[in-house]
Amino acid sequence: MTRILFSDKLDNCVAKWRSAGLTVIGPVQGESLSSYATVEKGTDLHLGMVLPDRSLKELFFPQTEPMLRYTIKKNEIETADFTPPSAQRIIFGARPCDASGLAIDDPLFGWDYKDEYWFQRRNESVIVTIACTKADDFCLCTSLKLAPDSTKGTDVLLRPLDKNRGWLVEELTDRGREAFAIISEYLQESSETALPTVEVPEKFNLDACVAWLQNPENFDSKFWKEISMRCIGCASCTYLCPTCHCFDIQDEGDTYSGIRRKNWDSCSFALFTMHTSGHNPRSTQSARWRQRIMHKFNYFPGKFSVNSCSGCGRCSRQCPVDMGITETLQEISKL
Amino acid sequence: MITQEKYRTTVKELLANGTIKMAIGYRPGSTSDRRRPLFIRTSEEADQLVLDSTCITNLSGYLVAEGLLSDEKRVGIFLRPEGIRSINILAAEYQLNVDQIVIFGFDSTGREVRPLQGQTTSDFSALLSEIRENPPLTTKEPLLERIEKMNAKERFDFWQQEFSRCIKCYACRQACPMCYCRRCIVDSNQPQWVNTSSHTLGNFEWNVVRAFHLSGRCVQCGNCDRACPVNIPLRFINQRMAKEVVDGFDHFAGLSPTQEPVLASFKKDDTETFIL
Repeated sequence: MTRILFSDKLDNCVAKWRSAGLTVIGPVQGESLSSYATVEKGTDLHLGMVLPDRSLKELFFPQTEPMLRYTIKKNEIETADFTPPSAQRIIFGARPCDASGLAIDDPLFGWDYKDEYWFQRRNESVIVTIACTKADDFCLCTSLKLAPDSTKGTDVLLRPLDKNRGWLVEELTDRGREAFAIISEYLQESSETALPTVEVPEKFNLDACVAWLQNPENFDSKFWKEISMRCIGCASCTYLCPTCHCFDIQDEGDTYSGIRRKNWDSCSFALFTMHTSGHNPRSTQSARWRQRIMHKFNYFPGKFSVNSCSGCGRCSRQCPVDMGITETLQEISKL
Repeated sequence: MITQEKYRTTVKELLANGTIKMAIGYRPGSTSDRRRPLFIRTSEEADQLVLDSTCITNLSGYLVAEGLLSDEKRVGIFLRPEGIRSINILAAEYQLNVDQIVIFGFDSTGREVRPLQGQTTSDFSALLSEIRENPPLTTKEPLLERIEKMNAKERFDFWQQEFSRCIKCYACRQACPMCYCRRCIVDSNQPQWVNTSSHTLGNFEWNVVRAFHLSGRCVQCGNCDRACPVNIPLRFINQRMAKEVVDGFDHFAGLSPTQEPVLASFKKDDTETFIL
């Protein structure tokens, strides 16, 4: 016997979680963009989309974040730290790729220096993921050895029933069990079976691609120039990516006081590796695109034993010139 | 299809006889409604060329990226009328030599694509003047009508709301043929002139810089608007700025490669309504 959460109880659940002090967040279709956003009612959630335009990353690692305020005085510098406002959150209706993205980035943010901004939000968030019963042409989780029902990064996995009636509940972590204990009165025992997950065709052989990338001879391959000729060097792919995590630290203010901020940065930009001298070790767009692919499928797994891609497909879906990880790895598979 | 076949043959001929070293066009994309930029250097690559009504992207920016024209050889490029205007502006701003550009012009009505006669920008001057006099009818955009009816406060609030989605990925800049600066003002960081943060102020700073810098230079190809991953309706800003420049300075950008850039030239009879 498993438990079921029926869709018509979602409003009650959201109300219950909110009265228990949780901020409820989920996929919301705005006027011109979809994203994970705070909701007040269950009916505000748009659970039918393949996945939101914007990834879950930004709820843990916002595009700009104040770190400290500084004031320079005659003989001293005063500083005051900013910490993220504490808020217990439940993210209802994450997609498995987005939830996986968080788990992929955990070792990065906790490796040598423990990023308190990231981990405070991670510790304060319960991730309730809904398994996918539909996909689009750009989804590629299965090519990354993940699946439409991956549980990586997830506290509770929901498997949809037919006719949007609700979900089978699989509680995976203590944090998930605690959050669902709050709404246990709305869960029903049942022996129903869930809908099958969507078939997402494999688009390339990941192992073969990784082997090619790991071969030092291919670092200077002509392939990089060819595949990236049309790259225009924007950061659309990196900023929508659920795992890209690079940031820059900037002081904003005048000579005497200001705020130190942590802002998203992208390896697509020429400025990313520009030295103070003016020399740029990645002086061409092909070198920058190579870096993005190498980082995700060679350097990152070399350090953390996991690829830095969860197969959401946003990079390809949103690219102004129709590039992306899928095409690049497909082309590498053919080499 | 006929236009596409004809152009494939032309490109192959011009490559074979050494007139051009490369042609920049379109090929199929990852879904049936998408097209990708294509760089044609061989006869086989020419066979990948697609030319239909979905070929929308203004490709002229590639001409000034990473020194493509620095060897002084000729490059062919597929352009709609607004793309030809971009070439004229780039030439007027000394970014390229029009003698190095072989234009494969095309336009479309509905799903029908047709070739435009000519190969160099001067061949199209009559066409561009005609477009200036009789701009092609565009479909009415309800949002634009809504914006036009707003007062200054409402408009400010509207754009603040729109810019709040901006993530400063600079896709608008990178997709724009006119944004060729070797180092954009927002990337000038010794000192950092413009905040890098994409908070309310930072997003406003970027978008206002962009709007002013493109005034009198934008041909409304729509590359920025389509590239924006967070769907900010950037085309409305550029359309409005272009209208201001036409109204204030009688300047329609990109008519010829020798047209003086409006904000970089001085005329005694310029109106002075903007001087407070």
